[in-house]
Amino acid sequence: MTSTLADTSTESEAGTVAPIPRWSAIRSRARRLIAFLLSSLIGLVIGGVIIGITGHNPVDAYRALVDGALFGPNFVNLVSTINRAIPIVGMGLAAAIAFRAGFFNLGGEGQLVLGGLASALAALYVPLPAPLLMPAAVLCGALAGGLYASFAAFLQFRLAVPLLISTLILNYPARDFATYLTNHHFRDIATGMNETHTVPDAARIPLLPGGTELHAGLFILLSILLGAAFLTKRTTLGYEMNMAGLNPRFARYGGISLQRLGYTAMFASGAVAGTVGAILVLAEFGRYIDGALTDPLYAWTGLMAALLAGSGPFGVAAAGLFFAALETGAFGMEQTTNVPQELAQVLQAIIILLIVSRTGLRAGEDRTG
Amino acid sequence: MPPELELHSIVKRFGHVLANDGISMTVDQGEIRALVGENGAGKSTLMSVLYGELRPDAGEIYLRGERQIFRSPVDAIHAGLGMVHQSFMLFPSLSVFENVIYGVEPTSRGLIDRRRATGEVRDIAERYGLRVNPSAKVAHLPVGVRQRVEILKALYRGADILILDEPTGVLTPQEGEGLFETLRALRAQGKTILFITHKLHEVMRLCDNATVLRDGRVTATVRVAATTPEELSRFMTGRDVLLHVEKPAVEPGRLMLGVEQLTVLDEAHRHLVADVSLEVRAGEIVGIAGVAGNGQTELIEALVGLRPVGAGRVMLQGRDVTHGSVADHRRAGLAYVPEDRVHVGVALGASLAENLVMGFQSRPPISRRGLLRLDGIKEFARRLIHRYSIKVSRASAPASSLSGGNLQKVTLARELSHDAPCLIAEQPTRGLDIGAIEFVQQQLLDYRAKGNAILLVSAELSEIRALSDRILVMLEGKIVGEVPGAEATESRLGMMMTGAHEEVTPRAVTAEGVP
Repeated sequence: MTSTLADTSTESEAGTVAPIPRWSAIRSRARRLIAFLLSSLIGLVIGGVIIGITGHNPVDAYRALVDGALFGPNFVNLVSTINRAIPIVGMGLAAAIAFRAGFFNLGGEGQLVLGGLASALAALYVPLPAPLLMPAAVLCGALAGGLYASFAAFLQFRLAVPLLISTLILNYPARDFATYLTNHHFRDIATGMNETHTVPDAARIPLLPGGTELHAGLFILLSILLGAAFLTKRTTLGYEMNMAGLNPRFARYGGISLQRLGYTAMFASGAVAGTVGAILVLAEFGRYIDGALTDPLYAWTGLMAALLAGSGPFGVAAAGLFFAALETGAFGMEQTTNVPQELAQVLQAIIILLIVSRTGLRAGEDRTG
Repeated sequence: MPPELELHSIVKRFGHVLANDGISMTVDQGEIRALVGENGAGKSTLMSVLYGELRPDAGEIYLRGERQIFRSPVDAIHAGLGMVHQSFMLFPSLSVFENVIYGVEPTSRGLIDRRRATGEVRDIAERYGLRVNPSAKVAHLPVGVRQRVEILKALYRGADILILDEPTGVLTPQEGEGLFETLRALRAQGKTILFITHKLHEVMRLCDNATVLRDGRVTATVRVAATTPEELSRFMTGRDVLLHVEKPAVEPGRLMLGVEQLTVLDEAHRHLVADVSLEVRAGEIVGIAGVAGNGQTELIEALVGLRPVGAGRVMLQGRDVTHGSVADHRRAGLAYVPEDRVHVGVALGASLAENLVMGFQSRPPISRRGLLRLDGIKEFARRLIHRYSIKVSRASAPASSLSGGNLQKVTLARELSHDAPCLIAEQPTRGLDIGAIEFVQQQLLDYRAKGNAILLVSAELSEIRALSDRILVMLEGKIVGEVPGAEATESRLGMMMTGAHEEVTPRAVTAEGVP
């Protein structure tokens, strides 16, 4: 994370003492990858032992897992992995944007819910011509998530409520508020479920051509990913966020207003979470279904991806994709081998613990070196 | 008779860095030996090896002719070594004697024998002339007395050889003098002292012999009586160093920084800074001297917008910035070299370039319309690296790979590049090598010569005296005196810093803990 600004080819004309190998940046990235792969491998071995203890064949189980994540007829499983990765990576990026600037946003779930609900209601009740409806609904989702996250920032800066607490706690009212609205005011009574009416077709995020379940939400996510990368590497705002994240006292001393930056970062973070909610509603379900955004724990899996990858956008995307593959693979594993899919969560937890312990070790080494 | 201490060809390697490259030295009993060298010369490593904190890769340690192998400081303490660290290792909430006996408590029937403990501590204190009240609480003691407690701790454990690591850094001149008295008394009683320092005038005043290290090797061992500071600094740096900066006369110009009756309060509404008024004019360096913790830090934080002002006014070039943000202050023409360069002055995890452009990020050539210009950044960083001879291989290297002196150059380079008419510099040379100190001081004088105003806070009285046109003395949040730079002597400043010539009884020197 160190050399985001200057080109690595910059050589100083000043006397060079003990030249730091240009390698170091690459090496640390490679080390991180190796740590990740190694941890995954150890996790898989431990998981294999557990599978063996429960009386199944680990090799078969893992074959089923890989098949369930990546293959299937017409790569249908790969498609569902990608579709599952969209909310996970999206929520990971949402968390990472705030982390990057040194602010904690544990309220992704609430922002996701409000974003999804807002987009559904906008699609249902805002009279807009067809081509504008979908973008407007997505925008409403982003706005709702962003404003809700900003409220946590307001609590922090005005009332000194730590973000760690406020964002976490604000998840509950958001969820309950959404349940209340769908239950009492915007419910589609015909279905008997706690959900809104179906949004008009014009508001739906369309499927991509090719006959698969891949939808255009993928492009929204990719633009968020590229946007986040561009923000952190190429913009003044991104620079200020990086510096505040690395050392808030330095940023403040340099004249950066941490408060303004906090509002901006939290709004951006919440807006991404809200957009993810909108994608799920407008692409996957076509309506807001109570609980559908929260039950799969997208926000929390995304948060873990962000914690693991250390807030670099592409690392978050890779980690999120990995978790998505693990989860969809586990469905397939359960179907073909009877190994319970909860095992995937055990695997996930083991791998995370291993990675975290390894990075902890590395941080210690760095300090002495 | 074998020498008290002999180190033979000590080698200590960290990765591919040779911190100690075959160091040998011999110290006689009853000697005060200076160990001098620039930062990174290997002094601390050598002492850690001697004290059992590090195992040498090669080499031997002999005490009175006997080979020693220290697996931990416990072994070293057993063999009669004692260490006084730079930062004290004391429990502030415990009393003096409790700190002294900690870990080696005299007990009777499983309980600590307090009476015996206080008695023993008092005896040792008296025998070596260390005036301390054994029952005083450490938290209430001034720094100089706390240091005495550290020495007492070592003596209580039977130390014959005392290692003192940069012991005067935290002391007032008077306290420093007191320490020297103590050390001379210890020498008279046959104790051997290893005195680590980079302040050559201390070596000249106190020590019998000096061992000079450079790049992990001994470059000279000399009798102090037969050497000069100039010679020692040449051994340390390998070149001639100006020990006294030349300060050309500059006529003070218009008012740059005006402070009127500034008051800063803490949460409990106590005065941290009380009613401070001062002026700094163009072409002038105004120094603030004072014992650390007398409101200097809070004053400066308030002046730069990092801390709210309770009352009073701060004017920068005629603009009222009293309640402005840091950005407001900077826009009004203020640059600031902070005291804590590691935690405030840089972001260690960021690259050198990122550290250098802080404050410039919103304008060309660094950025345009919110977008960073990588070429502009590279060029900017390259220019500063060159101009301030920052030793680094590339602008994208992390700041954490830089030495302390180079980090200070980064902060200085950045702040001076703002071309702000007013600079506040806090402890600009603390912890730096002789060579780096010379560089920084010269930069400050050049900045002044360009017609800028500088407010300088430093714990080094020699630095304050060498650089300042006027010196203000701070005590308990107030300015208690002003002395023209030319007329300031260390003793006069020291008296004012401790309130000795005033009618006040300041906290810093109350005799609490001294019977």
